[in-house]
Amino acid sequence: MPNKDNGNPNANNEAWRNELQQVGFVRRLFQARKWYGADWWFVAISTAMVFGFIFVALFPQWLAPYRFDTIVGTSFLAPGEYPDLPMLITRTDSPTNSLQDLAVGANADRPVIGAIRGSPSAVAINEQSQIVDEQLVSGNSGLRLRPRIERYVTIPALLDAITAGEVAAGVANESEFEEYSGDYPELHSGTTISGGTATAGGFVMGTNDIGQDVLSRLIWGTRVAIVIGFSSSIISLLIGLPLGLLAGYFSGKADRTLSLVMDSLYAFPGLILAIAITAVLGPSIYNVIVAIAVLYIPTYYRIVRGQTMTVKEEVFIEAAQSIGARRWEILWRYVFPNVIPSVAIIFSINVADAILTGAGLSFLGLGLPPTIADWGIDLARGQRHIQTAWWLITFPGTAIMLIVLAFTMMGEGLMEIFNPKLRER
Amino acid sequence: MPVEILYSIRNLDVEYHTRGGDVRAVDSVSFDIRRGEILGLVGESACGKSTLGKALMRLHRKPASIVGGQLHFDGRDLMALTEDEMRTVRGGEIGMVFQDPMTSLNPVQRIIEHLTETILAHEPNTSKKEARLRAGKLAEKLGIRAERLNEYPHQMSGGMRQRVMISLALALRAKLVIADEPTTSLDVIVEAKFLDLLRELRQEFDLTILLITHNIGVVAEVSDRVAVMYAARLVEIGDVGSIFANPKHPYTRGLLHSVPNITLGDIELYKMEGAPPSLLRPPTGCRFHPRCPDVMAICKRKNPPLQKIGSDNQVACWLYGKEGDA
Repeated sequence: MPNKDNGNPNANNEAWRNELQQVGFVRRLFQARKWYGADWWFVAISTAMVFGFIFVALFPQWLAPYRFDTIVGTSFLAPGEYPDLPMLITRTDSPTNSLQDLAVGANADRPVIGAIRGSPSAVAINEQSQIVDEQLVSGNSGLRLRPRIERYVTIPALLDAITAGEVAAGVANESEFEEYSGDYPELHSGTTISGGTATAGGFVMGTNDIGQDVLSRLIWGTRVAIVIGFSSSIISLLIGLPLGLLAGYFSGKADRTLSLVMDSLYAFPGLILAIAITAVLGPSIYNVIVAIAVLYIPTYYRIVRGQTMTVKEEVFIEAAQSIGARRWEILWRYVFPNVIPSVAIIFSINVADAILTGAGLSFLGLGLPPTIADWGIDLARGQRHIQTAWWLITFPGTAIMLIVLAFTMMGEGLMEIFNPKLRER
Repeated sequence: MPVEILYSIRNLDVEYHTRGGDVRAVDSVSFDIRRGEILGLVGESACGKSTLGKALMRLHRKPASIVGGQLHFDGRDLMALTEDEMRTVRGGEIGMVFQDPMTSLNPVQRIIEHLTETILAHEPNTSKKEARLRAGKLAEKLGIRAERLNEYPHQMSGGMRQRVMISLALALRAKLVIADEPTTSLDVIVEAKFLDLLRELRQEFDLTILLITHNIGVVAEVSDRVAVMYAARLVEIGDVGSIFANPKHPYTRGLLHSVPNITLGDIELYKMEGAPPSLLRPPTGCRFHPRCPDVMAICKRKNPPLQKIGSDNQVACWLYGKEGDA
């Protein structure tokens, strides 16, 4: 924002340029408010963050590697930890690479697959081959997969059997195979038995207690946070703004009654009120939105009412009356546009507040049904494992902090730009 | 030229209801505004001039109310009109120009919107295009260039904004414009231009202007007649020439003496004794008597009525009273 109120604009411009040439780039960046009137980078960064969050909330399916409710691997994988999946192990010269390759005609000999007795991989191969078999049958390929499982006691025994060709393939967890792979150069691991290759590098943010991807839940959770933040703020805006406008403009008895109600609502501890409302209404995203909206109506009401009362004493309102403007016309065309800037600022800060309250509610297990991907729920689930799995609460916690920071910073920055009294000279 | 009365005000009382009691800011004021004239209304600060101006449009707000009197404007009884009918009079027939042009325009509306909105508020059948056309023509007459119409009030100077305010009053061909200290916040050169403009407009639009001011010089410059108010009452009204040459009321005399004058030289400026009275507890009888150099016994007991003196002047003072002692 150009510096407008210092006398001659040309002379001012000159001085501005001289000063600009004397300072270095970094200092120029940090002292930018001197020339632009506010911490423009403050606003720029936070606005970029806000739009980033909104983008993530709109298109989580493009950004998240998995859906928020799919179980993708073993539970409690640390960030970057390789998931230890059962692999199909074959001789290097064998054409077999996946379970499907072992399928044979209905009357042919059933293939033999080796496994470790009592290990999870033995259970997995059973389940997985049934799934593949069902797919083959329904696909009318004429092939079946009904392997005979040969059980061994130790890994070397299994690997020996594969090398000797006693079994067509073997199943072992990747880590188990890796331990001995040096001794068996003629063996290699193909794919995981479920078909895919294991995620390279594991999961960026690890997996949670039931093996869901933390990153994917984080990305899908953005949607819930943004939806709760925006819709509850919009609802309280839509109720608080007109009430404040009318109360401030017409004053009188209705105003006093309304103000008393709003003040009592405001004085009541916010989170407790929200807890009470959701406890009565039951856990659902709509109820959370309603509870939070009720909480923030008084904020808008008070600000708008105060602003309206200031604006309506301005001379231009009297001037509007003197040219015969109608009352609603004055309210709509003279008072309302002069109140809106402060509302925009409150809105931004309010969204941050609403997200925080929403997360708080679901952390307490009151807000959302547990099937939804929500940061508050993730936090609540993670805090039970805080000593063993730090990544379960760190990432959702950081996300909450960042989104609240972004909206609050944007609001504060806008306030500084719109309110010249706060401007540093 | 026959004198035609445009606005006749009779025994107008306006009160402010405050915690300290009711303050009568306009106390049984009666005068006429003649069609086509510029009537100056002068007086000290807080003597009730602005309250009177607003009351003439019934524009007073909450603590103030008109408690009595008759307002006859152009053959209509304004006191009998409903608020909705009054709205069509405001702007449509009586316009107002405020003291501070910096704050009397909506900061978030363009100039052209101010004008078209005024036109559309009173003539809802006018098309938006037609209203814009009319607004443009009017603005041009007032010396506002067409490209400036798309600017916001903060982009204009004080003099320009005052022109905009006037054009709002003229947009619907108001018959009477009440200008409440229109030049107070303008510098002398802009003020002179503005006063010239007022005179031109009177000719062109057949306008009647009530010029409320505390600046005697402005009144002398443009007014045809002048009314002097003191402590909520009208003390003298008459033709500018005769009042300036021969002020009858001691207050008017004092007021005219206190005007700085370059020919005065080193002589100290006349300062009136005392201070204006509190309207909460006004003095008995004539309100000027505690400060009056010519005070008589009757002044403390009885309020002097406005009486005709000379050909066209009226004064409220016992000095010219024929009533004797009552």
